[in-house]
Amino acid sequence: MKKAFNTIVQIFVFILISWAMNKLVLWLRLPVPGSIAGMLAVFVLLQTKVLRREWLEAGSGWLTAEMLLFFIPPAVGIVSYRSLLLSSGVQIVLVVALGTVVVMMCSGLVAQSIAKRKEGARPS
Amino acid sequence: MIEAASLFGTILIYMLSKRLYRRKPLLLLSPLITTPAALVILLVTTGTPFGSYNAGAHWLSDMLGPATVAFAVPLSKHFDLIKKHAAEILASVLAGSAAAVASSFWMAEALHLNKQLIYSLLPHSVTTPIAMNVSETIGGIPTITAVAVMMTGIFGSVAGPAVIRLCNIRGDIARGILLGTSSHGAGTSKAFEFSSVSGTVSSISMILAAVVTLAITPWILAPLHLFLSGGPG
Repeated sequence: MKKAFNTIVQIFVFILISWAMNKLVLWLRLPVPGSIAGMLAVFVLLQTKVLRREWLEAGSGWLTAEMLLFFIPPAVGIVSYRSLLLSSGVQIVLVVALGTVVVMMCSGLVAQSIAKRKEGARPS
Repeated sequence: MIEAASLFGTILIYMLSKRLYRRKPLLLLSPLITTPAALVILLVTTGTPFGSYNAGAHWLSDMLGPATVAFAVPLSKHFDLIKKHAAEILASVLAGSAAAVASSFWMAEALHLNKQLIYSLLPHSVTTPIAMNVSETIGGIPTITAVAVMMTGIFGSVAGPAVIRLCNIRGDIARGILLGTSSHGAGTSKAFEFSSVSGTVSSISMILAAVVTLAITPWILAPLHLFLSGGPG
């Protein structure tokens, strides 16, 4: 019970930080999304030990675990672009799908080959 | 009334989809496909406009910001590991982001899409606000870009585990790089299902990919055109 309460309070802390950073970014006219600025700010506060990780860990765990749910409404929003999808939906899906596979193979295989080379170079 | 129904209906259908996926783990039954599909059918059959649905459901998408801020916690937890693998992450994201823009350009060109549509699709691999910004800069239509970004997120989080299996990508670092570079936040939430390290690396890769794409896209457009026409002139 206490654990659930803590998680909820921590989630509200993240909501508050995100909201405040959105305002700040707008006010300073920074070309960065408020959420990413907020992430960097919290990261710095954690690294400098102003904030302790235990204070936020439960809320962070819940938010990152349930993040797919937050993508559902924008995904449903694709329904508003019916005419675009009817005229060039197939082509867009092709570009997106093939392009995404290319990026995955490119970045994944580069990462894997560097990791292997590092392992091989290490004296054993 | 319709607002509450939209909000709680979305959560309910999502929970049912997750249960279905646990029982039958097929790609096409991923919650990020079945849930929006079921909701779209519901909206169309009941004649509900997206605006009225979103009046309630936006409370969920509003949580994307706080969830991104929450990445700071695992980032700080695994920071030493990230530092150790910084070169690998940076090189792979650079390669991936350049491949993203170039491959989208050539494919869209091969499919004879018009110029404005091609430009709108180029930044589809990165997080929505940055992608729309890039699109606007190079002469695309930001709303089309937002649709393509959403499709990329769905496709990437569904197909990512399959590509990881097919290419035999091992290690939390490489998996995180692959998902974050290719499919931004949706890929990152998938990466957190692999492990906390994968998720953290993915969130870092997602941010790096956004920065790299913002920086390189206007510059590689001219060379891309050049390649296509087989030389200057």
